[in-house]
Amino acid sequence: MASDHPVTGWLHAVAEKDRTAFAELYQATAPKLLGVILRILKDRARAEDILQESFIKVWQRAALFDETRSSPITWLVSIARNSAIDALRKQPVEREGQESDIDEIPSRSPNVIDRIDDLQAQARLNRCFEELDKDRADMVRLAYLNGWTRDALADYFEQPVNTVKTWLHRALKQLKRCLDS
Amino acid sequence: MIERDDLDMLAAEFVLGTLPIEDRQRVQRLRTTHPELDAQILQWESRLSALNDEIEPVDPAPGLFARIERSIDQLEQASSQHNEVVRLRQQVSRWRLSTAATSIAAMLLIAVMMLEPTPTKSPYVAVFQHNDEQPAFLLTVDLARKQLNIQPVTARPAGNQSYQLWIKDDELGPTPRSVGVLNEHFEVDPAALTNYDAELLRRATFGISLEPRGGSPTGQPTGPALHGFLYPTGEGADTNRL
Repeated sequence: MASDHPVTGWLHAVAEKDRTAFAELYQATAPKLLGVILRILKDRARAEDILQESFIKVWQRAALFDETRSSPITWLVSIARNSAIDALRKQPVEREGQESDIDEIPSRSPNVIDRIDDLQAQARLNRCFEELDKDRADMVRLAYLNGWTRDALADYFEQPVNTVKTWLHRALKQLKRCLDS
Repeated sequence: MIERDDLDMLAAEFVLGTLPIEDRQRVQRLRTTHPELDAQILQWESRLSALNDEIEPVDPAPGLFARIERSIDQLEQASSQHNEVVRLRQQVSRWRLSTAATSIAAMLLIAVMMLEPTPTKSPYVAVFQHNDEQPAFLLTVDLARKQLNIQPVTARPAGNQSYQLWIKDDELGPTPRSVGVLNEHFEVDPAALTNYDAELLRRATFGISLEPRGGSPTGQPTGPALHGFLYPTGEGADTNRL
């Protein structure tokens, strides 16, 4: 249950401006959020700036967290991802990063922090991804995890941008059907 | 009209991160007033969240939390020193973003502290800062009368160029809007903000850019990128900065 999640408790306390809870929340979640941001922005210093920005937002917005609508980790990761993607769109990284992005695709390395995530959800998502064509599954991963734009995907997969958009929409709809069923 | 299915794809691509920047910003604005869109975004965040399990945690630099705490101290201090620091927090997060992007933004976007008038003080405001030095400008806005005043602090005459003041707010669209070009005495029409409502002014972000003489030829900031720091305007707060 989400309400049993320690992160939920910390977020509720942070909403009341509890600094101790904020420190505990940071200790528990900052490495994960930095991992998310760094994968998108590549640059360590820039990623830490965005991590700082993200935690300031967490401090400010904790009262808006609604455990009936989001898991606490998902809520935190969304703040970090949105901040990182906004920063990336405003100032794109060099293209060199892309080859290493490709190398990262097949990696599946569950780690300790996964325990606080929903393992069933992970298994279900993996199963639904396996039902997608590999190219489309890779597109979704590269966009979500690495922040690739439609244009970057079009270049890499050697397809027109509109085709990429169509593929993404089909993949997303297929994922939705599979996940919601 | 946007079909429901289209709205869902908009939400999905927003979460995926693949929307073109204008659409992305539009979704960010729309979700605050469209609960259905917001709900769809949350659902997509939830659907795809297990992808994050692929990501290895990375330990932040040891001093980072202290930096975050100092920023928050600054925020809290500002709001306790002054009864109302209107939407300061949002301003600061925007400012943070803008410093990461100043070379693109090509202007300084500064967090603005809009303070309610107190009996003894002028309701002041924004600090426009050059590098790590003293502030370049102070912008004062009297919200009741919508009068603005710019005071140069260390800013020097721009020679063949002009300083231009900008305002940015979601309601005004994705790009900054010119408030006015400063004259050689660093003055701008004090009534230039009259047409904006007070609520918008309170949450807006202001910026000053260096432009070709007479102002930006494109209607958008083209000048050099500068960094800004927020200074609390209260007593004893001059040593803190964000």
